[in-house]
Amino acid sequence: MRFLLNSLCFFLLLGCASYPVQNGFESKSDSSQETSNPYFANAEKDYVYKAKIDAFNKSFGGIFIVKKLGPEHHRIAFSTEIGNTIFDFTFEGDDFKVNRILKELDRKILINILKRDFKALIQEQSPVKNHFSLKNDDILQTDILSKKHYFHYTNNQLNKIVRADRNKEKVDFSFTNIDGQFAKEIEIAHHNFKLHIALKAFK
Amino acid sequence: MHKILFLIFFISVGAFAQKEMTPTEAVALKAKVKTRADATTTVLSEFTQYKHLDFLSDDIVSQGKLAFKVPNLVKWEYTKPFAYSVLFKNETLFINDDGNKSNMDVGSNKIFKQLNQLITASIRGDMFNDDEFNIKYFKINDSSLVYFLPKDEQFSKFIKAFHLSFNANGDVTEVKMIEPSDDYTQIKFTDRVVNKNLSDAVFTQ
Repeated sequence: MRFLLNSLCFFLLLGCASYPVQNGFESKSDSSQETSNPYFANAEKDYVYKAKIDAFNKSFGGIFIVKKLGPEHHRIAFSTEIGNTIFDFTFEGDDFKVNRILKELDRKILINILKRDFKALIQEQSPVKNHFSLKNDDILQTDILSKKHYFHYTNNQLNKIVRADRNKEKVDFSFTNIDGQFAKEIEIAHHNFKLHIALKAFK
Repeated sequence: MHKILFLIFFISVGAFAQKEMTPTEAVALKAKVKTRADATTTVLSEFTQYKHLDFLSDDIVSQGKLAFKVPNLVKWEYTKPFAYSVLFKNETLFINDDGNKSNMDVGSNKIFKQLNQLITASIRGDMFNDDEFNIKYFKINDSSLVYFLPKDEQFSKFIKAFHLSFNANGDVTEVKMIEPSDDYTQIKFTDRVVNKNLSDAVFTQ
């Protein structure tokens, strides 16, 4: 009986443990000042991706476009392959503006999801709250729109961002096929509802 | 030297200047395009698409092939820089996104239905419908440019204007879809083959 209670307590504790504890992160004292994400930081470049979106059992494609227009200033647009704009957002400092969205998608809840995801995707720097390590990876914890985000670096290269709420992983951003400061493939996967965005660079 | 440059500039401007057509010229163009469209049963064409967004440094360019068969089978097949095709058939939109197939019933969607009709009409060039559009006619040398401004309020929030260019034969050479923001998609047709026998197998996904 005592064993059972102990086990139960152990699982309860583990269940309530923070995301770093659950994943075996080790705390590091030498703290970096800022996270860095170089993948949408070049104002000279048009970032154009073929997108595949699986949302709530529906699948559709399009073209995902990001342009840096100045410091902390990005424009993000999504259009059909044939060219009609589905949405077009501006991120500037703490401001967010919907320039255009198809009437059928103009729902506050959806816009908020996209705003959170894209803000995390393009945020170039953010103050580090905690610094961890896992094997050869460095993990920097920061807040983006008041949510905890963990930036995973291998050999100083950002390969994953995880948004965690309390103890659970909510969203994964993975960067692969990296060429210098350009991530040619990006995936955004939500774990608490069915939304998956896969991006593949045009060139 | 300056005089020569000035002269070249003037000739270039003169060459590309567009003039509004007289009502007689507009009627003649409509008749020519209508005759051409009525005689067209199939169209095969290469196309290059330029998606222009004001905030980008360059237009987004994609290329592909278009197939059309009367009365309303249309297939857009993008080959560069990605494989993607969309087929309009029996009020359904069949999509093949690099092997991932899906379809959408557009019969109930007014915007898509209109877009489909317009695409079909614009390939044939026969979209001179005064009930649906305010139409303006221009001539540029021996070719023509026609502006179609949708009258439907809901539709005009989606696409502000279609600009169709016609060559001297009355074939559509270019379609430009302009959004309310003034960003646009321009599609240029090349190597157009008319009335070649196209089997229904072309219009499958």
